[in-house]
Order: sequence, then C-alpha cells, then structure tokens
Amino acid sequence: MIQKIDDYRFLIPKSYKTGMRIDGLIYADEEMIKHIEKDQTKEQVANVATLPGMIGRSLAMPDAHQGYGFCIGGVAAADIEEGVVSAGGVGFDINCGVRLLSSPFMENEVRPKLEQLLNQLFRDIPCGTGRSGLLEVTKAELDNVLIDGASWAVRNGYGNEEDLKHIEEYGKIPGADPSLVSSRAKERGHDQLGTLGSGNHFLEIQVVSEVYDEETAKNFGMRKNQIVVLIHSGSRGLGHQVCTDYLDIMQEGMKKYGIKVVDRQLACVPIKSKEGKDYLAAMAAAANFAFANRQMITHWTREAFQRIMGNGDLKIVYDVCHNIAKFEEHDIDPEIFGTDGGKKKVLVHRKGATRAFPKGHKALPEELQKFGQPVLIPGSMGTCSYVLVGTEQAMKETFGSSCHGAGRAMSRAQAKRETSAEKLLQQMKSQNILVRAQTKSGLTEEKPDAYKNVSEVVEVVHNAGIAKKVAKMTPIAVMKG
Amino acid sequence: MKRGYVILDHPADMGIEAYGKNLKEAFEEAAIALNSIILDLTTVEPIQHRKIEIKASDYEHLLVKWLSEILYLYDGDNFVCCEFDIEDLNPNFLKAEVKGEIFNNQKHQTKLDVKAVTYHQILVCENSERGLVRVFLDI
Repeated sequence: MIQKIDDYRFLIPKSYKTGMRIDGLIYADEEMIKHIEKDQTKEQVANVATLPGMIGRSLAMPDAHQGYGFCIGGVAAADIEEGVVSAGGVGFDINCGVRLLSSPFMENEVRPKLEQLLNQLFRDIPCGTGRSGLLEVTKAELDNVLIDGASWAVRNGYGNEEDLKHIEEYGKIPGADPSLVSSRAKERGHDQLGTLGSGNHFLEIQVVSEVYDEETAKNFGMRKNQIVVLIHSGSRGLGHQVCTDYLDIMQEGMKKYGIKVVDRQLACVPIKSKEGKDYLAAMAAAANFAFANRQMITHWTREAFQRIMGNGDLKIVYDVCHNIAKFEEHDIDPEIFGTDGGKKKVLVHRKGATRAFPKGHKALPEELQKFGQPVLIPGSMGTCSYVLVGTEQAMKETFGSSCHGAGRAMSRAQAKRETSAEKLLQQMKSQNILVRAQTKSGLTEEKPDAYKNVSEVVEVVHNAGIAKKVAKMTPIAVMKG
Repeated sequence: MKRGYVILDHPADMGIEAYGKNLKEAFEEAAIALNSIILDLTTVEPIQHRKIEIKASDYEHLLVKWLSEILYLYDGDNFVCCEFDIEDLNPNFLKAEVKGEIFNNQKHQTKLDVKAVTYHQILVCENSERGLVRVFLDI
C-alpha cells in the first residue's frame, strides 16, 4: 500500500511489488494522489523500480499520469556501472522541452498590436500536422545539426553566442553520433527543422502576472507586466524514429544480456553495453536536433517582434529538456534513500520532468550560479505558466529534478466529446486570449481542463521544496499546431 | 464475423482495437485505424502500390513493426496508404501490398500527428473464428 510520509510525499515501498529494487515516491497532495491512483501511474513507478541498477527512488512528480512503460512525470537514476538505459524512459519525443524568451516590452505596449504580432508569428513559424519547415537541410548538413545542436543554428545566423549560455547543456549534448541515427530518422527529420509540430506543442505570448521572488526574477531578466514568449517543441519525427529504432534494438539486446522486464515498453540494456552506448549517442543527436529547432523558432520570433514591434531584442531566460537521459554526479543521501551514500555518477532518466539545479551548481553559467537554474513549467493552453528556481532539496531527493507541466487529466477523445472548438475559442476570447490554430481538433484535445491545474502542481513542488516559485505568467495569445 | 476497429481512450494518448475473422484482417484493420487517425482516408486514392516485408520475433513485435512501417511511409517517405492487403502472416513474418498515393497537402486533409507505436498493453489473440489486436499510439 502507498504510505503517506508527509503532506506532499507518498511512498511506494519495495514490498509493494515483487522485484522492486528500490522504493517509489510520488509527490502529490491528498487530492492529487486520489487522481493519480485512478490510472496506472503507481504501477508504472513500481515497474521502473524493478529495472537493474536503479538507485535512490523511482520518482513521480505531481503532474504524473499514466504513460508507456515509464509514467509521464517520472524520474529514475541508474548506476553507471550496473544500471540500464531505457529508450522508453526518455520517450518518443526526445528533448521535448520549453524555452522562455523575455521581451523588452510591457503588456500595454504589445496589446494594441497583438493580433498583428500573432498573425506574423503564425506566418513565419511552420506548425501543425504534416511535414515541411521553411528550409530543407541536406543530409550532410543535418549531421552537423545533430552534432552541434543550438550552436549549429547560431553559426548559421539563427541567434547569437550569448543565447547558448541560457540553454540546458549549452544547447549541445556531447557525444552525439549521427552515424548511429538511422536514415529513416533522418528522412523523417530533415525537412522538419524549425517547425513547432502539433499535439501539445505551442507558442504563447504571455504577461508576467505575478512575481513571487523579486530578486531571482530580476536575475532571470523578468519583471511584472513584462511580455514574454514561451515555446514548447521537441525533436519532431527524427526523435520519434530514433526511439522507435532503439526500442527494437533493446528488445533484442535484452535477450542477449538476460534482462527481463515486466512491461515490454520498459525495454532496456546495460549503460555500458554497445547497444546502450549507441542509444545514448543517437539520443544526444536527437536532443541536439530539438535544441536547434527551438533556436530557429526563437530567431523567427525575434524577427516577428522586430517587424511588428520595432524591436526584436528578446533574451532567452532559459531552455529546458523535458524528455532526456543525462549523465550527472549526485551525492546520495543514505538517510533519505536508506542505501549506501556518497558521490555517484548516475544516468538520470527524466520522462516529462525538468532538471532543477540549485545555485552554485557547476553546470550553470556564471550569471545563474548566484540564484540557481530557471525551471520552466508550462500550463495547459490558455492557463498560466510558471518560472521556478532549482533547489538544494531537489539535489538531495530528486536527482535535481522537478515537474514539467500540468499533466493530462482527461483523454483526447473525452476532451473532444466535451467541448467544441467554437465553444473553446469563445471561452478563450472571453478571457481576452487570442488563438491561432492549424486544426480545430488539435485545439479541443488540448483544452485547458483536459489537464490538471498547473497552479496546484506547482504548489506541491514549491511546498515540497524541490523547486521554488519565482514568477507566474498568463497567456494573451496562443499559437498551436 | 465482421471486421473493423475501435479507438480506445488513454489518459495521454490513443489506442486501437482492431478485429476480423482472422489475424490477417485484424492487422489490416489496425493499419486502416492508424491512418484514419492521421488523416481523412476518404481523400486518399489507391493510385500506387508498395510492397512491405517485415521480420519479427513474435506477433506483438510484428504488429508494432507493421504499424511503424505504415507510419514511416507517411512521415518519412511521403506516401499515404488507404488499402492494405496482407498476403502472408505468421508470428515471425509479414508480407503485404499497400496502395495509396504521394502525400499532397492540397488534397489530403491531415488530422493528427502520430509520434510512434508502443508496446503498452499490446495484445494479439486469435481463435478459429476471430482475430483481435490492441495497440497504443504515442500522439
């Protein structure tokens, strides 16, 4: 049975399920845990705890919901020597993530030109189902994108060097090897560079509506009533195909290494095996594609602001990955985890979770060292979003991780049954939010109440201390695929 | 026994349950369901054909690879199919001919991007009267 530890922590002890090597822990409040218990999330947290070499705890953030293999909102760290890497533990949309841009404008300056601005963005940034972006890179050039990520984009005129400091891993995960990315993945991706995509991906123009921590907000370049832009996109077809390919390779690999899993979607191989190393090099390549993708979208956003507002000087507050596996060093606290302690190199799987490093962490650029890493939490369409900052507490108990968003609460079909696109547009209009969407069905599936309340999710994270609130943003214009 | 499919709810994404008088029909129906999720199939004409051959370790593996192949044809090869004829099917092998045409965004109405085919709660079963498959998609 689930054991309540305190108001925001619920433990799934090892005894819950045969084969669990470590405990599971879900961050939630009383109300949320009731909801989480309705689907397979708890089982999936327990299943992840059965994988070889997992250390600490198998974690679920308050936005957790049932996924495939791993739950969405899951965090799990594997010992580098004895642990495994799971392609499903990263997910299909490798380095799906968010980027926040701060503008030099206040709300009253943008409001009169908002429709023009949204129309310009909608014209300039390809979005929606289907394929093509504005440019088609050659196969040889695509390899450079996969190796260099955001710095490839900067080198080619999309943004500047300063941008790179404000991206997780400086916009380039090392060790990427394009030769380990299949020609199929490249075929799916080569004309999708610089496209927003569909589903839950979006671009929003938002207003900083509340500041909780003035000093940190100032350090992040944010102030009340300021206009900011939030971009949510990933590695598109290329990343999806990399995951599909390696799930297949890992199915075979498990036979070779004698690994048995309780759910096939958890397919995994030893981190140190050839298959494991190959996957991580291909995953890094796909992640770099996503960084380049968001960098190009940033460039076009700046151009649209320049054209309509006369100033395109938008700065990157930060860019975070939501779906990724990363080699990191963590100090294992024996008192928290009830295991051996000490510094350990681990592979942290974040599936629908955000890195949340505290002040002073060496992975952060100098200007963020004093306050900590911005943690970007997008809400569902038309609701608010948050900026938080990473904490020491997150380092201690969540491998430096926090939640990633609101988390779905309703299936797509149910969302469609309950709302028409017209009704939704009317509702958004009454909230003074402009919307441009490629398809109507995409709109209703992403309706705000199809998700958990992002404010409640953020409250749990804040109160549990695994990230602290800095500012809240409210959308005034939404662009969707 | 009729053939057909139903779309299943999943908190994050979407599933397909497809059936027919045998597994061959169920696999074909699953492919129709997948492409119906991606686009309006009535806008696609069977003008060209493609041959598909897939090897796998068991039926579940084969189902994921079959649907991944159809998805790749659309997303990687720009080819949308509307007719699926499985000529040969056993637990380790599938041979099929699919018909459709080159994707044209003026002619074909897309609905939703499907990221991938998953093993989540995957099911393949058959008796003398009926074949049934279930598979979930990442949207």
